[in-house]
Amino acid sequence: MAHIADGVLAWPVLLAGTAAAGIGVAIGLRQLDETRLARTAILAAAFFAVSLVMIPLGPSSVHLLLATLMGLTIGSAAFPAVLVGLVLQLVLAGVGGLTTLGINTLDIALPGVLVGALLRNFVARAAPGPAMLAAGLGAALAVALTTLGVALALTLSGEGLAGAAPLVGFANLPLMLVEGVVTAFAVGFLKKVRPELLAPSAALAA
Amino acid sequence: MRLALLLGTLLVAGHPASATAHQLKLFATVEAGTVTGYGFFVGGGRAANALVTAAVGEAPVVAGLPVDADGSFAFAYEGPGPLRLALDAGEGHRAETTLAAERFAPSDTGEDQACTADADGLAELIEARVEAAVARQTRPLLEALAEAEARLRFSDVMAGIGMIAGIAGAALWATARRRGSTS
Repeated sequence: MAHIADGVLAWPVLLAGTAAAGIGVAIGLRQLDETRLARTAILAAAFFAVSLVMIPLGPSSVHLLLATLMGLTIGSAAFPAVLVGLVLQLVLAGVGGLTTLGINTLDIALPGVLVGALLRNFVARAAPGPAMLAAGLGAALAVALTTLGVALALTLSGEGLAGAAPLVGFANLPLMLVEGVVTAFAVGFLKKVRPELLAPSAALAA
Repeated sequence: MRLALLLGTLLVAGHPASATAHQLKLFATVEAGTVTGYGFFVGGGRAANALVTAAVGEAPVVAGLPVDADGSFAFAYEGPGPLRLALDAGEGHRAETTLAAERFAPSDTGEDQACTADADGLAELIEARVEAAVARQTRPLLEALAEAEARLRFSDVMAGIGMIAGIAGAALWATARRRGSTS
């Protein structure tokens, strides 16, 4: 879904996506210090591996994105993490496209960063139960936003959605569910063993 | 335990007819003047609601041919090659493949030659029949090969993870160096 291939999108959309992703990556790189670097690398590796594993579902297959988990734990550094993951997926597995690296980075990372920024303070302070629930719902929302971003990029390029435009959100319901559950349990686990990884935004912005 | 939960969720959610897919691949082969093939998603599933375009160089052969309900397509084409095929399944899914020139039989071998008794005609007829038989027999192999090539290899995943660890190490070294030179 979020791995748009080459030759599908129009040039203005590709350029705008690349520029926006470039800004995101620049902001993310500025935030990277020694402690967050290792964390970002681990999440980039997780994103790279997990979003290559296709889970057969109905007539096609889906995969996790973990964008919200990245947004919660590393903030804007999710942009460089996703970009690195996508580059390696392109080189090693031939998934996605070279010209679409920017727009794909944007479609995956931006929802995660936004949802992460929105929920970070609550998740950091709340009890594990509510924190897990919030993270799960946030992850589902991020998947929906990613789908919306992909749909927008395709529509702006004059590309048909195969009659799926009104169904786009609905069709991703299984993925939203799976991503929500996995993110919720990951956050619950982190709350228990390493709560400092889910630092409030003040610590992350510093 | 988390994996078990994930699998449980998948079983519950596993029936919807529509879901997003990712890597789209295109399989195509030529048998006795007919190009056949289908689009498939890595990890399972054929691409329905897709359009096929084919061209030799810049000259279009087929434009916007919809696939069948089972995702397969077929059209008559005798050559010459190489034939470039593209499958557009919408939602950003697009796959391409090329049938090389040697996949197309060099001469047309119609049924009308079946009656000619001379040696040349017979040789051509035998060649055409052998060509068709070989194409029929090798098709499953080609299909399996296309699927195997599309499959993700464990070594690729490990290479990627190793690469990320390397990038992180290099970045850490760079930050440590920068700090060392400023302090």
